[in-house]
Amino acid sequence: MKKKTLKILLAAVILIFVVIQVYPVVWLFLSSVKPSVELSTAPFALPKTVTFENYRQILEEGKILKYMLNSVKVTGASLILIIFLSSTTGFALSKFRFACNNKIYAFFTFGIMIPVQITLIPLFCFYSKMGILNSTASLVVPQVGFALPLSVMMFVSFYAFVPNELIEAAIMDGCSPYKIFTRIVFPLAKNTVITIASMYTILIWNDFIFANTFISDNAAKTVAVGLKDYIGAFGRVDWGRTYAAIAVSVIPPMLVYFLLNKYVTAGMTMGATKG
Amino acid sequence: MNGILRDKKAFLVFLLPGLLFYVFSVFYPIADSIRLSVMKWNGITEAEFVGMKNYARLLSDPIFYKAFINNLIYLAIVVIMQLTIGFLFALLLTYLTRGVSLIKTLYYIPCIITTVAVSELFRSMYSTQPEGLFNIILENVGMGAYATSWLSNVKTALVCVSIPEGWRFTGMYMVIFYAALISLDPEICEAAKVDGANGWQTLIRIKLPMIRPILLLTLTMVMTGALRGFDIPFNLTNGGPGNVTELLSTYMYKKAFGANKFGLGSAIAVFIIFESMLVVFFLKQAFKERDSEEKSRKKRLRREKG
Repeated sequence: MKKKTLKILLAAVILIFVVIQVYPVVWLFLSSVKPSVELSTAPFALPKTVTFENYRQILEEGKILKYMLNSVKVTGASLILIIFLSSTTGFALSKFRFACNNKIYAFFTFGIMIPVQITLIPLFCFYSKMGILNSTASLVVPQVGFALPLSVMMFVSFYAFVPNELIEAAIMDGCSPYKIFTRIVFPLAKNTVITIASMYTILIWNDFIFANTFISDNAAKTVAVGLKDYIGAFGRVDWGRTYAAIAVSVIPPMLVYFLLNKYVTAGMTMGATKG
Repeated sequence: MNGILRDKKAFLVFLLPGLLFYVFSVFYPIADSIRLSVMKWNGITEAEFVGMKNYARLLSDPIFYKAFINNLIYLAIVVIMQLTIGFLFALLLTYLTRGVSLIKTLYYIPCIITTVAVSELFRSMYSTQPEGLFNIILENVGMGAYATSWLSNVKTALVCVSIPEGWRFTGMYMVIFYAALISLDPEICEAAKVDGANGWQTLIRIKLPMIRPILLLTLTMVMTGALRGFDIPFNLTNGGPGNVTELLSTYMYKKAFGANKFGLGSAIAVFIIFESMLVVFFLKQAFKERDSEEKSRKKRLRREKG
């Protein structure tokens, strides 16, 4: 009997915590379908009337879609580079036998500690000299650079499971190192690729600090920074449209998360247990 | 790392693209920050070498100290929320038999939402016009007298910009701790129970020591993460009111991109990186010392027995 009450208590406590973690997000979606009048009078009540007016307005205006397209470009380009660079570098470090390998690997792991803020001023100056502020590339460079340490580590630890005998056999058959990589090793790393891609899709899509520093032109804004357009200085804010815009912008990372949940969690916790 | 390929040219073809990109995007900026930190530069005219003057100016700048102290308070709040709450719920979750994976999935949601959205969500919960959630709750439990405009009140602002950051990653640390806890060998805990240890003793003497590597890791992650905290304080209050919520990184941002003092800003950036490395070093040291103490104690015990 006592055990049963304890069990129920346990479930209740856990449930309360679930509510604290999830409520703000649910509330965001509920608010986005409320008419603006209701938002200013009873912002935390359940919506009495459901309206998609807020969504219609922001989609018609079209700004948010343009910002999202910019985010897609930055995220896509970064992902391709991250996967390409870390899968090859990881291969070099784990399947070649050279004395410097351990040192180079340590050099990569060191990067996990480095705060991203350190790059803001130097890259800003460099970009403005080159005239590439407000470009997709200006965001891709730091995104990829700071993703490399962890993704190289993930590839190295996956390649450790690819038996050397397999590679020896391929050499016997006359395979070049390049063919070994493209035909044998890389195709095996499918899960690692999905893990890295899903995790960094979310992280890069959500990036604020780089975009806020390197992008000032409306035409180049990514969605995380573009959201600030909807948020007025103090007080006078059209909350309905703000929530709708936020809701639209969080849908892509949410989709990635719910579809590839296992990989995202694995990636992030691996990031923790490896760093 | 025990590779077998020895083709030098192929090695370089595979290694260099990633390595060069990494050096350019991460290490060139570090070197350049250090160079700029001994310069006086407004971004337009020629930079002028001033030696350690920027650092000297920081040391005599009361706002810099304020930002540093604020950063420590921010760090304390974030560490307490993420690690203690994260650990507590991970522990509770280990007693749950059903629905664990669903709950883990839900706990994780806050960390996949962009910080701008998190800031706005909390802004509306803190707000007074219209009445935000926090004030509504206070009024409903009869503590309406404590209702305040949380973000513009100098007493509450710093705590209020720290909480969203703590909230955001609590679920992630819970998932990490949970994974560590369920990977423990249940037989050891059973054995402790047989020896008469109660739940609390099992936790302190057995479970915690056994997940020490994870504790070191999560502490390092949370602390270096909090030292570079930026997005949410920047979006919610941008250091204000006054300098009550100024953190080192928001101060750096203001100096560099607000006041065009790139030299001074770089000096703060160098300070942040130095501070992060110091924290990592001390944490590693602290955990190492404990390890060696433990080992020597075990050795002594063995000797006494033998």
